[in-house]
Amino acid sequence: MNMFLTAEQTERYGEFQEFAAANVEPFAGEWDRAQQIPDSAVSQMARAGYLGANIPIEYGGKGWDMVTFGLLNEALGRCDSAFTGILTVQSMISAALVKWGSNEQCRRWLPPLATGETVGAFALTEPGVGSDIQSMSTEFRRNDQGDGLILSGEKKWITNGQRAGLILVFGKLEQKPLACLVPRASDGIEIEPIKDLLGFRAAGLARLVFHDVPIPAANVVGKPGFALSHVAPIGLQYGRISTACSALGLLRACFEESTDYAASRKVAGQRVGDLGMIQSMIASMAADLEAARLLCWSACRAEDDHLPESFTRTFIAKYFASRAVVRAASDAVQIHGAAGCHDSSPVPRFYRGAKIMEIIEGSTQVHEFVLAKGFVDDALRRQQRRAGLETS
Amino acid sequence: MSTNDPSYTRDIIRNFINRSINIDRLRDDENLFESGIVNSLFAVQLTTFVERKFGVEIGMEDLDIENFKSVSATAEFVARKSALRAS
Repeated sequence: MNMFLTAEQTERYGEFQEFAAANVEPFAGEWDRAQQIPDSAVSQMARAGYLGANIPIEYGGKGWDMVTFGLLNEALGRCDSAFTGILTVQSMISAALVKWGSNEQCRRWLPPLATGETVGAFALTEPGVGSDIQSMSTEFRRNDQGDGLILSGEKKWITNGQRAGLILVFGKLEQKPLACLVPRASDGIEIEPIKDLLGFRAAGLARLVFHDVPIPAANVVGKPGFALSHVAPIGLQYGRISTACSALGLLRACFEESTDYAASRKVAGQRVGDLGMIQSMIASMAADLEAARLLCWSACRAEDDHLPESFTRTFIAKYFASRAVVRAASDAVQIHGAAGCHDSSPVPRFYRGAKIMEIIEGSTQVHEFVLAKGFVDDALRRQQRRAGLETS
Repeated sequence: MSTNDPSYTRDIIRNFINRSINIDRLRDDENLFESGIVNSLFAVQLTTFVERKFGVEIGMEDLDIENFKSVSATAEFVARKSALRAS
């Protein structure tokens, strides 16, 4: 991996791994059981500057490139997907603000997001609307005074919704998609924690209900009509890269736990790692790990270089890494046998968390649809163009 | 070469779009969005590319599909923003 990284990126990656090993890994199981990450742990991440990873230095953030951001997600994801989820949504709301926020919004909100004084959430998904975001029913309407908006509707499965002090809410104003910053302290917000998820239990997911919440006009991000075409994609790009790299970290966790176990566990006098069936699973895991790593860094580099294929590469990286980690986690349980089915091992948590990676930031099937449609449409356009040129 | 030269700007933008959608011989006045040549994901990529390549800042007030609907429209937008920056 190092051949793709600069000396500075390599050094930071080492720091991220040390942070995760000391502050995340020892507690991840406890957080999972409690279905909650303590404020003190989030404060540690904030003090390290990680919550401002992608916020420009002028606003108090780190201003790191996407490769460094990916490395941070990989290192944290190695130890706990739920903890990494806080970073994911923080980067999503921050990125949308950096790109489309007004000067006033950036000056007001980016410094507290950078220090972690404010933690954010990205409220797009609704009870009846997941990937089909055009169909969302959350509504903004103008207030009687004409100087602000009223928000009503419901969002669900919102990562960090339990903790967030600032929520970027997507809805429609007179049928046009609109994004607005909604402080948690606003009147009329009901927050219902979502517990007992398969995995990602400590990520603070919530159902948010907005009962005629008053929103100042100054809180609109971007323009009406551009929320889904311009504002959301900026955040979702960060979300996909973060999730892909977090899945990569979890894949490494499965690989490392499995190889350690295979090297030490003996059955009938023979090391488990010497058994052909186990070797097959480990070899497959190693190949998936290397492939996912290359795809993730390729996506991050494309984003840093603003290449036209950056969105496609990110879709491919997330698609591959999230599926690979499900295979790896399943094999990790298999390699560990009964030990992999008990809470005393981290492997069951990996197994439950891995499946979540295939669902969040667009399901596997949505990725297949977007990727395949893009490639087939490209081919169709080329054919139509050739035919048109030949007849003209 | 600079953004003062419209043909240079158009070439850069056309090459970026061609590379994105793997298509050649794109007309400069062809409406990218109405003709379905690009999708909505591409819209945000184009704005990011224009910002970085030409050093112009695209803000909320510039969010108008007319500014980016074709190679020519995007080149004209870059010229306007560059002139504003220089003034």
